[in-house]
Amino acid sequence: MIFRAVEDTDLISRVRRGDVEAYNLLVSRWEKRVFNYLLRLTASPDDALDLSQDAFLKAYQNIRKLDDPARFGPWLYRIAHNEAYSLFRKRRPETALEDVSSERNPAPGFPMDLSLAVTAALDRLSPDQREAVVLKVYEGFKFDEMAEVLGCPVSTVKSRLYTALDLLKTELAPVNTRGVPRGN
Amino acid sequence: MLSTDSHSSCGRAEALRDYAFDELPAEERRAMEQHLAACGDCALELDQLRLTTAALRTLPDREIPQRIAFVSDRVFEPSPFRRFWNSGARLGFASACVLALALVVSAWHLSGHYAEPRTVVQTTASASPDQINAAVSKAVAQVRAQIAENDAQVIQAAVQAAERKRDAEYRNQMVALEENFDVLRKTMNRDYARLEGSELGAGQ
Repeated sequence: MIFRAVEDTDLISRVRRGDVEAYNLLVSRWEKRVFNYLLRLTASPDDALDLSQDAFLKAYQNIRKLDDPARFGPWLYRIAHNEAYSLFRKRRPETALEDVSSERNPAPGFPMDLSLAVTAALDRLSPDQREAVVLKVYEGFKFDEMAEVLGCPVSTVKSRLYTALDLLKTELAPVNTRGVPRGN
Repeated sequence: MLSTDSHSSCGRAEALRDYAFDELPAEERRAMEQHLAACGDCALELDQLRLTTAALRTLPDREIPQRIAFVSDRVFEPSPFRRFWNSGARLGFASACVLALALVVSAWHLSGHYAEPRTVVQTTASASPDQINAAVSKAVAQVRAQIAENDAQVIQAAVQAAERKRDAEYRNQMVALEENFDVLRKTMNRDYARLEGSELGAGQ
């Protein structure tokens, strides 16, 4: 007998047949990522948690509308993105994400200079640029998936991301020279 | 400080970045690897890009403060129609319908469409007010009893749902607590091991 890991697509099929426990398992797989994505957009743990719950609830209610279960991730993030922007519009119709940077705090338990430098550098980006960086660097989405989440063409996604990276490279150049563990 | 020039002189900046994020097709990827072996500008640009993304990735993810679980009745909350239909109001509604139907039939009989109207009037008139009151009281008592029974069932179901939700939250909290303790224990063990190592080093 061949065993294989239970895929998200399997769980989605079960959820569509009314299996709530399958959805709880799906949530447990994605909740930390969605929470951190929303935390990086909102800079508020409370808002990020509330929005995460709303996003998962909305996803559950609309899971039959998901055309391709293999695209659950981008679809879920699209819902989370919409929830976040809906909140911003309700609270600050004109400023949206512009002012959240002042509320942002570096992660606890981390070297303060590097943490502060990275946090400050991200804060200097526009909301669109910051979200592009979050989706690519922290969430690891492909460009076509990012386009699905953000609701814009791939060319726009790349433009936002690469402009942001130019700015970040300038901002973080002094930190980089002091030695950061290299990624790929 | 590193140079912040973002564009390599050979005009392959975008392809280089696509390569850095593993977004190039296999053939273009191989071509870029060959190019990088020969182009110092692009190699430097790639190096800077990787340093920048590595710096960004040093920010750790935070733990979610509270697990999200769907055992609540919010998700399974029935539609307003179903809620109405399952409530005690259904019986009242049905009774009202029956009464209205009886009134319509009665009015139709009295209006002369029935072949023997006098017989009906006499039949209706033959029931005394006391008999009518007793019959109405009996019907009302039956409906009330049925409504009370239905309400009791609804309340019992709600209490059971609340208890299930509370138990699930408690389990989630215990799991989170256990994980936190585990992290704390590992951290303390690591610190203790480090401290012990440094003391041994100092002793030598």
